[in-house]
Amino acid sequence: MNPFRIKGRGRVNQDRPVRFTFDGKTFVGFEGDTVASALLANGEHLMGRGFKYHRPRGVVTAGSEEPNALIGTTRGPGRFEPNTRATMQEIYDELSTESQNKWPTLKFDVGAINDRLYMLFSAGFYYKTFMWPKSFWDKVYEPFIRRAAGLGRAPTELDPDHYASRYLHCDVLIVGSGPSGLAAALTAARSGASVVVVDEQSEMGGALLSEPSVDIDGDNAWGWLATTLDELASLPNVRLMSRTTAIGYYHQNMVGLCQKLTDHLSDVPVDAPRERLWRVRAGQVILAQGAIERPMVFDGNDRPGVMMAGAAQTFLHRFGVKVGDRPLILTSHDSAWHTAFDLADAGCKVAAIVDTRTDIPPALMHAAMARNIETLTGHTATATSGRLRVKSIRVNPVRGGAVGAARTIPCDAVLMCGGWTPSLHLFSHTKGSLDWDAKAKAYLPGHKTEAVHIAGAGRGLWGIAAVLEDGAKAGADALRDLGRKAGAATYAVTGDRTGAGITQKELPTDRSPGSAKAFVDFQNDVTAKDIRLAVREGMRSIEHVKRYTTNGMATDQGKLSNMNGLTIASDALGKDIPQVGLTTFRPPYTPTTFGALAGYHKGSHFEVTRKTPIDSWATEHDAAFEPVALWRRAWYFPKAGEDMHAAVNRECKATRQSLGMFDASTLGKIEVSGPDAVEFMNRMYTNPWTKLGVGRCRYGLLLGEDGFIRDDGVIGRMRDDLFHVTTTTGGAARVLNMMEDYLQTEWPDLQVWLTSTTEEWATIAINGPNARKLLAPLVEGQDMSDEAFPHMSVAECKVAGFSSRLFRISFTGELGYEVNVPARHGRALWEKLMEAGKPYDICPYGTETMHVLRAEKGYIIIGQDTDGTVTPEDAGIGWAIGKAKPDFVGKRSLSRPDIVAKGRKQLIGLLTDNPKDVLIEGAQIVLDPKQPKPMKMIGHVTSSYWSEALGRSIAMAVVEGGFDRMGDTLHIPTADGGSQAAKVTGCVFYDPAGDRLKVE
Amino acid sequence: MNAPVKSFDAVSVAVLPPVARLNLRIAPANLAVASAAFGLTLPTKIGQGVAKKGHAAWCLGPDEWLLHAPEADQAAIVADFTAARVKAPHSLTVISDREFTIAITGPRAQEFLSVACPLDLSRMAPGTAKRTLFDTAQVVLIRDADDAFRIEVWRSFFPHVSDLLDIALREFACGL
Amino acid sequence: MLLIHCPYCDDTLPELEFAYAGEAHIARPADPSKLSDEEWRDFLFIRSNPRGLHAERWRHINGCGRFFNALRDTVSDRFLTTYPAGHPRPDVTKLEAAE
Repeated sequence: MNPFRIKGRGRVNQDRPVRFTFDGKTFVGFEGDTVASALLANGEHLMGRGFKYHRPRGVVTAGSEEPNALIGTTRGPGRFEPNTRATMQEIYDELSTESQNKWPTLKFDVGAINDRLYMLFSAGFYYKTFMWPKSFWDKVYEPFIRRAAGLGRAPTELDPDHYASRYLHCDVLIVGSGPSGLAAALTAARSGASVVVVDEQSEMGGALLSEPSVDIDGDNAWGWLATTLDELASLPNVRLMSRTTAIGYYHQNMVGLCQKLTDHLSDVPVDAPRERLWRVRAGQVILAQGAIERPMVFDGNDRPGVMMAGAAQTFLHRFGVKVGDRPLILTSHDSAWHTAFDLADAGCKVAAIVDTRTDIPPALMHAAMARNIETLTGHTATATSGRLRVKSIRVNPVRGGAVGAARTIPCDAVLMCGGWTPSLHLFSHTKGSLDWDAKAKAYLPGHKTEAVHIAGAGRGLWGIAAVLEDGAKAGADALRDLGRKAGAATYAVTGDRTGAGITQKELPTDRSPGSAKAFVDFQNDVTAKDIRLAVREGMRSIEHVKRYTTNGMATDQGKLSNMNGLTIASDALGKDIPQVGLTTFRPPYTPTTFGALAGYHKGSHFEVTRKTPIDSWATEHDAAFEPVALWRRAWYFPKAGEDMHAAVNRECKATRQSLGMFDASTLGKIEVSGPDAVEFMNRMYTNPWTKLGVGRCRYGLLLGEDGFIRDDGVIGRMRDDLFHVTTTTGGAARVLNMMEDYLQTEWPDLQVWLTSTTEEWATIAINGPNARKLLAPLVEGQDMSDEAFPHMSVAECKVAGFSSRLFRISFTGELGYEVNVPARHGRALWEKLMEAGKPYDICPYGTETMHVLRAEKGYIIIGQDTDGTVTPEDAGIGWAIGKAKPDFVGKRSLSRPDIVAKGRKQLIGLLTDNPKDVLIEGAQIVLDPKQPKPMKMIGHVTSSYWSEALGRSIAMAVVEGGFDRMGDTLHIPTADGGSQAAKVTGCVFYDPAGDRLKVE
Repeated sequence: MNAPVKSFDAVSVAVLPPVARLNLRIAPANLAVASAAFGLTLPTKIGQGVAKKGHAAWCLGPDEWLLHAPEADQAAIVADFTAARVKAPHSLTVISDREFTIAITGPRAQEFLSVACPLDLSRMAPGTAKRTLFDTAQVVLIRDADDAFRIEVWRSFFPHVSDLLDIALREFACGL
Repeated sequence: MLLIHCPYCDDTLPELEFAYAGEAHIARPADPSKLSDEEWRDFLFIRSNPRGLHAERWRHINGCGRFFNALRDTVSDRFLTTYPAGHPRPDVTKLEAAE
């Protein structure tokens, strides 16, 4: 069934076959397989096409660092994901996968023509190729780049999956469950500390899964692993999390984890989240992430079948899969020799071991000889052949720097190892320094900024015994730093494989290096030649080389390519590696779904939607809603067949003619209480408050210290020492914060306390000539006559049986009241008023009608008619300033030179010459519409509506020197190239004398 | 408001009936006056709470206390504090309708709250309360016992918090 | 996400509970009308913006509600200390020596 599967070998369940598809063809693997291991078991190396040249590509690694084998996965309707690593996606029945960057098929791809046009795609090709001619940009270059750029295809359907998130706190977080991570975990866990161990793989064990040659404490590797995991799992203070990637390491030991929960399941429970983002706060972090093997850089190193030797080890031991029958090893590190031995022992005919080094440990030479494996030391590789799979490799001896005669060796896999790079991406996220270690030939962790320990191969250590000991020590160190005591266990290891190697640039060749396709970055198709070209063209900093060539800028962040690129760049620059420096790793460690980051915040739960106590009534009565800050507010209440325009006209008319009702519950409300309340109000607001009597209210204007309008609202004096302050809907939290700031930090001597009561009260505004007729019969405890309860009054009384704070105020210019009742009664009161208002054809209205009615009266909306640069004088409400007050917030700024200067933008009214023209809010205003572009803009329209009461359009605008332009005609250019003319007027369009407020 | 209790074995979520809820602000030096008015010795350390005979109080800030009492007592409490105002200035604001209270109980309650609570709840002792965030909503979190919490959330934020708890409940129940 | 120590709660809590509130130790003049335009401009707009240690205000807005001061290193984001509003800026050398 699986021609390359070794029966009985590996950790997959060979009794449980699993069927999945790749590019429409059904394949069989086993439970525990990844897509990559299952395809390899079937002899399929070709898994994708290169991003730039569309060259055939095979799987290179066995882990999350995989640059080539990126596939699209379909897990059911709507569940398509591009760029999934075939090496990480576990198979299950019905999983459907596809290759990427190919057309029409993976085996025959038209885009491979790019491979012949490679001159176009050299380093900096974006900057060079697409510069000229300019007219080509829109029609040729941009479409080309857009088609070529990006990996895979983006999903087109809404993601139906759930995503979850959690916070987690622990003493010790261990990233990586290889031997060093497990040794650290055992030490920490046995002390009783709370321990979390995470690993991105589907099962824990790390290198022990792919290098099971050792015995630990008398048990074989997998036996020891099982015992260890059993012990850890049995401890209540330990949490083991597989399929969980530490994606980012943030301040003060907060580590982000992305846990994959369902991508490996064929039957997903309905409410199961696909992924969960964990925000872990750890006392100590231990990074035991191992090391990543580096490719060798030589011509044709990207051919399918050319892969990492360590990956071949993993496929062999963990999955029971031979990556070929006739593999050849190409290495500069001892570790790959063991790959050769293990493959030979598993029945492969190893074509040869080619090592660039001349000094090989004798034990390795003997072991090769014992297995009859040809060894070619001091050799280079100069080419490979084979269209969709490697068929042979061309190797040459190198003597004294000279490349000798070539020899071609047939093979069906080339297993390369250019050394190992400690995996320190997360450590880099903390801004910990990486120092070059000449002995280990690697960057190793230096100065630490967080409570972190690095263990194992991440510190350049090699061999199971060394990393177990180091892990145990890291665990003990972490406990010590937590103030706990612990002894690190020791481990007896036999059969360990230690080793060493060298780093190197691209391999020497006897051919023209200019025509070699020796890839450094497989995912972004960057070659050694590109890096040398970048240096020749003047890039000196490694950060510039990176951006010019895009080396390391693909989704794998250069996990395989960074060190090779750096080595080649430093050679081209004639500098040592540490002098050239490193590029920066940034979160996330591996590509992370938007879903995981969004968590629960999607759909209706995307953001808080605040609803008033009357929202449910509005919903039942088919209101249209609009968002205002976090609130949703009833916008208008359309009747059958009405559009917004018709509904708003009707609501306006009904309110002006008889009676309208409006849910004003979102208005901010602040209780300002205490013996010094009036002094506090005098200091905060522009208006004078001392003489405001109990039971009276006043329009209040709040400035910033810079003199610009921040907020406004009606403020009632409930007692000598108690004010009921209202704020704008969007300003409520901001105003309270500003008040608290002054109270706590500038005037702590004042005895005043502030409490938000926005949500304690439901607020209903009643407006129209019949407002009093509606309310008076429902009110108990307050004489509603104009004499007893004049405009700008407030009283505590009962309305329709509910305790209330009743204001007589108006934001419409009509006789008006605002009734505040405890929020739970809001809807009941609304319904009672609707019922009682029937004789007056009471009309519920929404925010749009409220806006029109207030604009007809020239009442401003903070944030619409003002924008943070408008003073009270600019807005025409200088009357709200208490001129006699010695000080208030913002007063000093009102006499600053630029505030009193001529030519400030001022709020004026606009009446269009054509009364049917409704100007567009935000439209710019000019003096002469025929002036050449760019025109001099002297202001903009802030509010603009159709006024049903006036039978024409009205608008407000801020215009330079606006008050001096009364009667002038201004022009508002329109998007179609025309313009509209309008005359400057005052802002009060309706009932300028204010007679309607006084209706009997 | 009495929403049905939603639960599975490990966690229950229930909306509690209304309670008289008051925000008290007073200088700590005058706290004895407030304690006498409320009939409970108010705690002085932020987070601490006391409870007796249906009255409960938690210190939320240096000069701020959250008071709970049976609804029937609300008018009398307000009257008692009004009488005490001549002795010690303070602010007592009724916020009974400002918030809803949600109870989260059960053996996995603490873990359950970690879907949206950034605090290390293992450090929060029973009987304490604090203002904090739950997801993006400001709440007062009260811990009544190892396995019992209350969330007090502003009325308009309640649907958001309540929906999130429902989602989390289904997530916990499915076991993944 | 930072952890911040609230000097009023005497507890170290997630940054989510806090809001930044600008540079510290800039007191509002007792009588702004006495200030020249230049002096008032400086009070309104001129801030130090140092690279390194910065005295700044935070509010425990989703907690006890108090404004307080902090010394934070703008390079490393590390908080050296936090202290109540109204208290003078602590002596840095003593704090660093104590570490």
